[in-house]
Amino acid sequence: MRVAQYLITMSIVLSLNFFLPRMMPGDPLSYLTGDPTADMPVAISEEVRERLLVYYGLNEPLIKQYTDYLINLAHGNLGWSIYYNAPVSSVLLGRLKWTLLLMGTATVVYVALGILLGALSAWKRGTKTDIGLLLSVFSFGSWPPFFLAMLLIILFSVKLGAFPIGGAQSPTGSHAGGLKLAIEVTYHLFLPSLALVLTHLSGVYFLTRNSMLGVLGEDYIRTARTKGLRERDVLLKHALPNALLPIVTMIAMRFGFMIMGTMFVEVVFAYPGMGSLIYQACTTRDYPMLQGAFLLIMLFVMFFNLAADLLYARLDPRVRRA
Amino acid sequence: MSRLLEAIRGQKLALVGLAMLALFGFLAALAPSLSPHDPEEMYTPMLPPTQLHPLGTNDIGQDIFSELLYGARFSLLIGFLSAATSMAIGLCLGLISGYCDGLGFAIMRVVDVFLAIPRFPLIILMAAFLRPGFRTLVFFFVLFGWPRATRLVRSWILTERNREYVDAARMIGASDLRILSHHLLPSAIPITLVRFIMEFQHVILAESGLSFLGMGDPTAKSWGTILHYAFEYPTIFISDVWVRWVVPPGACITLVVLALTLVGFSLEEWANPRLNRAWRRT
Repeated sequence: MRVAQYLITMSIVLSLNFFLPRMMPGDPLSYLTGDPTADMPVAISEEVRERLLVYYGLNEPLIKQYTDYLINLAHGNLGWSIYYNAPVSSVLLGRLKWTLLLMGTATVVYVALGILLGALSAWKRGTKTDIGLLLSVFSFGSWPPFFLAMLLIILFSVKLGAFPIGGAQSPTGSHAGGLKLAIEVTYHLFLPSLALVLTHLSGVYFLTRNSMLGVLGEDYIRTARTKGLRERDVLLKHALPNALLPIVTMIAMRFGFMIMGTMFVEVVFAYPGMGSLIYQACTTRDYPMLQGAFLLIMLFVMFFNLAADLLYARLDPRVRRA
Repeated sequence: MSRLLEAIRGQKLALVGLAMLALFGFLAALAPSLSPHDPEEMYTPMLPPTQLHPLGTNDIGQDIFSELLYGARFSLLIGFLSAATSMAIGLCLGLISGYCDGLGFAIMRVVDVFLAIPRFPLIILMAAFLRPGFRTLVFFFVLFGWPRATRLVRSWILTERNREYVDAARMIGASDLRILSHHLLPSAIPITLVRFIMEFQHVILAESGLSFLGMGDPTAKSWGTILHYAFEYPTIFISDVWVRWVVPPGACITLVVLALTLVGFSLEEWANPRLNRAWRRT
């Protein structure tokens, strides 16, 4: 049922991806020649135009174009980037590893930190620690990632000079080997990850806090306490594992959506991942690249949503039975 | 309504949030008379702050303070309109699908499909191709905003319609229409209001993100657009212009989103009694 629903959604997304460029105002070739309303549109003669239409199959009936598009997709062919003059898929693949590195690092840190702070907050409920944590996590959750990223650059890179202003490694970095390269990459990873961690912390923190509060009110926790268990054991061994159940699915869900936040952070830090690629494609109107990148992102998000759905059903016996 | 006021009065944070929203609403409504200049008018580029230009001018000489005020107008208006329309549609469809089983099933299948679509990436992609103006943007946000509200209202109605007061109303001869409009609709307003605040927040963040990428309404003055041009300016990080060009629009977005979070947080306690009890344990 779930899987069928995702398949329907996927076909809608694929079709939209096919029809969007064809719904664009103006000539079908403006997709290839760039912005039709630009100051200097690319002038092409009637003869070249005909040839291009035939070459790209744009003179074929729509249904033929559509099936061709699907067949191409199935072969992993996402089109040809105008800006890079290379296949979209190979450019994307080259960038993907940086995005995954950034997202992975940030996810590990924000999940660990969120659970830690959330549990602490629930344990110290109503105290100044709790309120203080609640307020600060909330306020960081309100920052648009690109704004926070810009401020981090100004503060840590420009004013303090403590971290590089952008990129994933220094220009000479790729010549350094092994350990040196690893240090270099980590160093460049710090600020972008920090921006992502701060803006994504609130979800996990708040869920842990609420979930812990619920669990701490359960009878078996009281039993554990009356048995004379130490408070630390009650919290870590009895309460936390049960409170973590809803968090697992949330993380899978968030991981998909996080790619958008990552995109903005990458743009500001000029981090060479997919986000920067998309920004460049936006400014250069590289439509095939935009489409390929967003198709990949949407499939990515949908994959993790589905994973979250299925994981939830497996982890919680109450749902599994229902 | 009095319960709403009471819930808010007990919450200092909600009051702070409401006050911030009121201030921004005031600035947005009176932008034309408050702003010292026309935000499109070009003066000398990159002027430092003076009495004439409180935040100086940008790279093409537009008064940043005036841009900011008009930006408040754009962000709040697009957020409010999109969220309100989504909620209105969601409330109607949610009521129908919660009350009529057959039709409800059909509506929910459409909702499921929409909910599985990653909306923000798709909106950016659509914006890149279709060059949206204000109305198209609102349309995009509503297109992906109504399903969440519909599902929320439906699940609320599904439990609410089995409550005793609904049976009582039916027993004394109230028609379906009357039960829907006089009993179920009012009961669903609080949760819809909470969703409205969250949607408002989402739209403001999404619009500013879109504009930051240069994919928003190119003719509009929005906080995201100001940040877009500031970010594109070559020496933005090295010189000190960021103090008056990056911080003000960024802080505005952050403050509005924060204010909405504070209000939404308190509203949620009021709207959802079950949550309320869990919360009181603190």
